[in-house]
Amino acid sequence: MLLLIQYTLLFASILILVALGGCFAEHSGVINLGLEGIMVIGALGGALMMRYLPSGTSAFVIILLVVLASTLSGLLYSVLLAVAAIHFKADQTIVGTAMNMLGTAAATVIVKALNTAANPDDVSSTVQYVEEKAAFIINIGGFEFNWFMVFTVIALVVSYITLYKTKFGLRLMACGEHPQAADSAGVNVYKMRWAGVLISGVLGGLGGIVYITAGVSEWKFEYGVAGFGFLALAVMIFGQWKPTKIALAALLFGLFRALSNVYFGFDFLVNLKIPSGVYNMLPYIISLVVLAFTSGKSRAPKSEGIPYDKGSR
Amino acid sequence: MKKNLLKNSIVQSILTSLICIVLGMFIGFIVLLFINPAGAAEAIISVAKNFLTYNSTNMQLKYLGNTLVKTAPLLMCALSVLFSYKVGLFNIGAAGQYVVGACACLYAALAWKWSWFPCMLLAIAAGAAFGAISGILKSYFNVNEVISGIMLNWIGLYSANMILSNVKEAASPYTYQLTAAGEQAILPTLGLGALFNKNQYVGLALPLSVLMAVLIWVILGKTKFGYELKATGFNKNAAKYSGMAEKRNIILTLIIGGALAGLGGSLLYQTGYEQWQCTHSSLPAMGFNGIAAAFLGGLNPIGTIFSSFFIQHITAGGAYVDKTMYCSQISDLISAIIVYLCGFVGFFKYAMNVRIEKSEAKKAAKEMSVEHKEGGKE
Amino acid sequence: MEQPYAIEMLNITKRFPGIVANDNITIQLKKGEIHALLGENGAGKSTLMSVLFGLYQPEEGKIRKDGKDVKIENPNDANDLGIGMVHQHFKLVECFSVLDNIILGAEPNKLGFLKKAEARKKVMELSEKYGLHINPDALIEDITVGMQQRTEILKMLYRDNEILIFDEPTAVLTPQEITELMQIMRNLAAEGKSILFISHKLGEIMSVADRCSVLRKGKYIGTVNIADTNAEELSAMMVGRNVNFHVHKEEAKPGEVVLDVQNLTVASDLHQNDAVKNISFKVRAGEIVCVAGIDGNGQTELVYALAGLVAAKVGRVELLGQDITNLSIRKRNDMGISHIPEDRHKHGLVLDYSLEDNMILKRYYEPEFSGKFGIMNRINIRKYAEKLIEQYDVRSGQGAVTLARSMSGGNQQKAIIAREIDKNPELLIAVQPTRGLDVGAIEYIHKQLVAQRDAGKAVLLVSLELDEVMDVPDRILVMHQGEIVGEFDPKNVTQEELGLYMAGAKKDKVEA
Repeated sequence: MLLLIQYTLLFASILILVALGGCFAEHSGVINLGLEGIMVIGALGGALMMRYLPSGTSAFVIILLVVLASTLSGLLYSVLLAVAAIHFKADQTIVGTAMNMLGTAAATVIVKALNTAANPDDVSSTVQYVEEKAAFIINIGGFEFNWFMVFTVIALVVSYITLYKTKFGLRLMACGEHPQAADSAGVNVYKMRWAGVLISGVLGGLGGIVYITAGVSEWKFEYGVAGFGFLALAVMIFGQWKPTKIALAALLFGLFRALSNVYFGFDFLVNLKIPSGVYNMLPYIISLVVLAFTSGKSRAPKSEGIPYDKGSR
Repeated sequence: MKKNLLKNSIVQSILTSLICIVLGMFIGFIVLLFINPAGAAEAIISVAKNFLTYNSTNMQLKYLGNTLVKTAPLLMCALSVLFSYKVGLFNIGAAGQYVVGACACLYAALAWKWSWFPCMLLAIAAGAAFGAISGILKSYFNVNEVISGIMLNWIGLYSANMILSNVKEAASPYTYQLTAAGEQAILPTLGLGALFNKNQYVGLALPLSVLMAVLIWVILGKTKFGYELKATGFNKNAAKYSGMAEKRNIILTLIIGGALAGLGGSLLYQTGYEQWQCTHSSLPAMGFNGIAAAFLGGLNPIGTIFSSFFIQHITAGGAYVDKTMYCSQISDLISAIIVYLCGFVGFFKYAMNVRIEKSEAKKAAKEMSVEHKEGGKE
Repeated sequence: MEQPYAIEMLNITKRFPGIVANDNITIQLKKGEIHALLGENGAGKSTLMSVLFGLYQPEEGKIRKDGKDVKIENPNDANDLGIGMVHQHFKLVECFSVLDNIILGAEPNKLGFLKKAEARKKVMELSEKYGLHINPDALIEDITVGMQQRTEILKMLYRDNEILIFDEPTAVLTPQEITELMQIMRNLAAEGKSILFISHKLGEIMSVADRCSVLRKGKYIGTVNIADTNAEELSAMMVGRNVNFHVHKEEAKPGEVVLDVQNLTVASDLHQNDAVKNISFKVRAGEIVCVAGIDGNGQTELVYALAGLVAAKVGRVELLGQDITNLSIRKRNDMGISHIPEDRHKHGLVLDYSLEDNMILKRYYEPEFSGKFGIMNRINIRKYAEKLIEQYDVRSGQGAVTLARSMSGGNQQKAIIAREIDKNPELLIAVQPTRGLDVGAIEYIHKQLVAQRDAGKAVLLVSLELDEVMDVPDRILVMHQGEIVGEFDPKNVTQEELGLYMAGAKKDKVEA
């Protein structure tokens, strides 16, 4: 049971972080379908940082540097979306999809190159971080408390305040709803959209490192992040683009995702003799059902996905 | 005045695709340089050469055959993406539809010993069913087809793993060899294999996929159904206003898209070229490469035939890079970059038109001033 | 000594590829005056304002404020100079509150955190001072158009703007709201604000402005004192000839009932309330019935329900005695309903299709255009399109193959009208068919509507323009908040009277 709660919280953390990222991008008016790729690149940054940190580095420094590496990688990667979507008016769906393909391909190429350079016989795309990962975890009587959970709560609170209590948030949301209105009021729409996309890069990157450290201590980068970026988008829609509701939605999705990791710990679930594949599918099926019931009346930011052109009014 | 060739939209499409390819390869080359400058040039040439790496014509033919075997399913996935895109839908679910198509035909072939044609039909039906789910969710529940497509991709993958585990070899994660356990389901080769140095995998799939491309071209360009679909894609509201059944068209489109991708699954796995690996934990790249091929082909079914071959050509070419320095995924990287660049197609064309207009305006101004001067002399 | 000007735009020239949008235009706005800028659609008014706001840089000319040259490169520069504008299409974020909309872009804050209490105080003070009566916490989507306009005015006042520009501010208002707006404008001018009032409505200009500058086809025609001129002179300056504002038509000879609407109720997309409430009326062959009203009082939903774009919640619609309430759009088309939609870009055209493909948008499935196996007959399509293009004088760059997107608004509308009328309908529904068009096109369209009537068709016109409402139809129905509140003969009613009904101040019991 403890294990279920632990995994639920962990997966919910990932979903919250990434969904908040999507939320910032969409409130600014850019649809970020590349979150999946951003997660991979963020995970790569963090994983490589863990790998190359000298052993014996203090836990605090590890946490600091790993988080920094992931968020920075995510941020830099999201520039690809910002440039294409904001300045070149590219189709955001194509660009997002390309970023997802590119994320996995690039991470695989990079990790394999590093592995092969270190050991010519090693052609795997795996990064190990057994020791370093321990820095993030504190054992409280069988419950593995993870520092990322704290970061998530902080991100959640900060997001809420930023969106609803600050000048920045007001301007950001105006750009996603009615960019012409924002522009005429003197708000620089391009700048706000850049901000939205870059924040989504930071949060997506952070979500990526949490994902690959959740429960495992090595990652094979060929796998990508198994549609988690899109699950986060589903959470965002289900959460109606609002941080508080996103958190609740993420807990629900996190629970179903956690079940596939720990269902064998529950006798009654084991007795049902459901094949493990079904548990693997569960989060995706749930999200389809949930979306079917919530998308009908969902209120996405009105101008999301529409490139802003100063000239057209 | 002479008509500027660059103004022709087909010429423009081809040109922008070439720009994407060259830029994509170039960026790939730079990545290789970063990894190891020593063999980068050689590696990028290997990628571009693919089967031409071999010296003997026979070997070249054989491996050209192999590339073509995988071009057929890729073309189907690309057509699936393209067809949906014309109606304004982004069928990222092609990957999953391809997977369930593969799963359906393999299971029918291995467990029920169906012959090739019913197996193929089942694959089409399975893909279509997955497309239908996306379509219904889109038109009746307003669920974004990209998100539902991704969810269905994973559901499809895990289902395929589960179902095909029943027909797999005891000692490996692979399904039974089709040649051994389901020979009746192998697609007819039509003697085509002989052309490719007795490559037994080349057969019906190739001409069939090209035929489908032509068929899609006719449907979209020449028929009333295509007229409706494109109208819906350009302007959903106007389509509805003029009495087109836009919900039905959305569903129908995704069903057809799904059927095309499902057929793609059948066209690869029913050649016996590959076995399904029941421990797949990521989706086969075929569906996503289909996106690359569709856009690189300028969203034209005929163009897609060539772009599919090209994408498969470099994907296969990745296998020939020097493994002590690089990995084969460099090809995936290049195709991803190409898709990214395809996002800029609108901009490329715009830039081209602006340049043409500018130079024409300049020319016109020059002619005017010349006339003016001449006029002044008189 | 020259008179002190608040803002001057001197010899402004702005070119776009192919056209000169502003050709050597000079406008001088005195301090504390209300200065009207008059011109038809396409005369260059919006371009000139975009130049003033730094959205476009002019090729020639300069801008002066208080006698000093200034450079305006973006809207922020204009704002810094104290120039504010109420746009024709409001620039308000619908899901934000009135207060949030007012402060957006000029937020009082401490370290980036909003200080809403302070903002609220200032807004309420301003609201009181100028008699604007707004509720700062209401959401924009919940308040009336008049209130939204006042929010826009407050946006300018909140920024301490001295130069206020009103772009066609009365188009969406009731006559009573217009009167109130005029009073607000006079109050503002009295407080020393300088006002530029953009309009093509002569009556309003005559009643509120001090001076008036006129543009025509991108050229500056002249500036006159309102006290020294009259509406006829202004009109002649605006269009360059004397325009006949009245539509010539014979007495109507109504025949059998074509459209019979019985107790129709239509749900609203946006609100809990129904958009159309229990409406009944008839339209006969050979008459034009006009549904008048302020925008957003259920006209759109009514038309959608008649055309089949949305389902009726309750009630019954009959066409020539047949129940069509639950028929599909296609069936209604085939039975003889033509529909010139309110928004030609959203519904009327597929902008990325060629003109010929748009001409067959409602007939493409007929055997004439698609033959065996659904293959389209391109030869017949071309022939048909060329016939319509000639008959209705639709002008475009490359004829039948021109992309609809690249055509002018007037010709796009003509193409739609050609398509809808050529179907030879029993009932023609025309929703704001003249919106955004110049005088020539408006005349043409009115003539077409009357011609349809005279050919024995039933015509249902939906209009927001009072001139059109008074001139074109044989019968007027006024809609207010989803109900029909009055029925009139245009010969026996005044604009003022209609206005009272449109605003909901008066209401009759109307029998179908």
